[in-house]
Amino acid sequence: MLVSGMGGELGSLVAAKLENEPWVGSLVGIDVDPPRRRLRLAEFHLLQPSQRERIVEVVTKFNPHVVINLSVWEPDARAGLAHARQFTADATTAVIGAAAECPALEGMVVRSGLEVYGRGRNSPTRPDETAVLHPTSEYGKMLAEIERQARAVGRRVKIAVGKLRLAPVLGKHVPSPLGRVLRQPVVPFSALADAPFAVIEDGDAATAFVAAAHGRLDEPVNIVAPGAITALQAILRGHRVPLALVGPEWWLAGKLSHMVGAPIPDHVVELMHRGRLADGAKAGELLGFAPKLTTPEVIDHLYAWESVVRIGSVGGEIEGVA
Amino acid sequence: MSPSTGDLIQFPRRAAGRVVDTVGSTITAPVRAIWPVHSVDDFGRDPHLIGAVTPLAKLRWDVTVGGLEHLPHRKGALLVCNSRRWSLTPIYAALALSEACGRPVRFVGRPDIAPFGPLLRRLGGLLAQPADVLGALRHDELVLLPTEPTAHPRHAGAVAHRLLGPAVEAGVGIYPVATMSSALGRTARAEVGAHVRPRHSRRGPLAEVELAEQVQHHLQRMLDGFGGVQTGVAPLDWLAEG
Repeated sequence: MLVSGMGGELGSLVAAKLENEPWVGSLVGIDVDPPRRRLRLAEFHLLQPSQRERIVEVVTKFNPHVVINLSVWEPDARAGLAHARQFTADATTAVIGAAAECPALEGMVVRSGLEVYGRGRNSPTRPDETAVLHPTSEYGKMLAEIERQARAVGRRVKIAVGKLRLAPVLGKHVPSPLGRVLRQPVVPFSALADAPFAVIEDGDAATAFVAAAHGRLDEPVNIVAPGAITALQAILRGHRVPLALVGPEWWLAGKLSHMVGAPIPDHVVELMHRGRLADGAKAGELLGFAPKLTTPEVIDHLYAWESVVRIGSVGGEIEGVA
Repeated sequence: MSPSTGDLIQFPRRAAGRVVDTVGSTITAPVRAIWPVHSVDDFGRDPHLIGAVTPLAKLRWDVTVGGLEHLPHRKGALLVCNSRRWSLTPIYAALALSEACGRPVRFVGRPDIAPFGPLLRRLGGLLAQPADVLGALRHDELVLLPTEPTAHPRHAGAVAHRLLGPAVEAGVGIYPVATMSSALGRTARAEVGAHVRPRHSRRGPLAEVELAEQVQHHLQRMLDGFGGVQTGVAPLDWLAEG
């Protein structure tokens, strides 16, 4: 099993869960940052996305049965838009290309997002996996390109390619522009729309990746926590001060927010104006996956900042103590 | 067993964080008192907003609901109602049916432009798109589809067959809902009819085209059964008949 993007919060969680799975033999990870959790079995390689030859060497030498690609840089999460686009493109080309060279490869699971559906005028309120992909944000276009490359490789080398379209991933330690904006003392929201959106907790997202890898998923699946919430409702739940905006002042609010350390990328603005819901029923049918937390609960967890973090052992025993 | 020093990391709570919490709580307390932080459902319908709007709607419409025994208790269904122009029929009928049957009834035909689109979505509106209707029906929801609006209160307009397709695909029942309301008075009525079953078994798109005609026919029969306007002043009733 190979996990690309093992250094991120989601990648580390996936790796920790995979280590506890009896069907997983050896586990190798690559990323630009070291894993954020203590891993007992995984072998980790610190590699930049631009080091394509080295990535190809590591991947082909390991010759995995399954590749999980989590090397996705959400704009303004860990890097600005230009860098995020470049890193994601480099990593996708290197990892998916290298995976295609592995004779033992049976399946690949790639991270995608609900942003691929786009939120153009009259687009479905709650798209399911059959909806046409029409991304309307930069992040959506990046994810659609990852799906396209993975699909092409899957057809070419005849392997199963699962695409997990995640709702915005939130968690206490997840670098997320949405989470960062919602945690500001004063949070802007669209007064005219205040559209509903759904999210997914990082632990639930990791569980979905493990299930998809185990089941050799071969199609796209939406991964969404049940329920929905609007930005104003989230702000009030977090005891933040809501700032109602109607239009042009979003530009100024975005600049100010950027200055205080919480940039608002276009896919987050789109979420606040047009909402982001999706039908997640197929995940239950195909993967037997049911998120533990609902969308309002994920939002509550986002605001319940811990005073003590227990780091005793990894896996199921990791838990925060408020 | 007490945890060892190496097992725990203590993050001191920052004073700034406490200040943010206190200020935020103080400022938003009045808002939270009148607008509790309920969430919306999977489709964006807001039961709290509907609870707040219903008394206002009752000032405008006093709706008598009938025929609920025809509706399934748990499964989804597509309800098709006639619609008089400018009467907001889908909204008052959906609110009244929701309250009467104790299940959310979503209506089709919200615009996708702010601020009306988002507001109607919070009231249970769906876009007039087959994908939206199919998504709701697959999740066992009750969906109310208005016919083409007409000028006459007792004429059933054409039914959009492309929006009946999702009901055929999802395998749910189609029920006519005859509605009647007055432009000036409060009295209104919503009567659910029996399940409309297709006369012919079709494999292709003719299924929904024929069903649409059948539903319109059923609706017209129900509206005819309502009788004419009864104000108690015969000349006015004759005038109202157009």
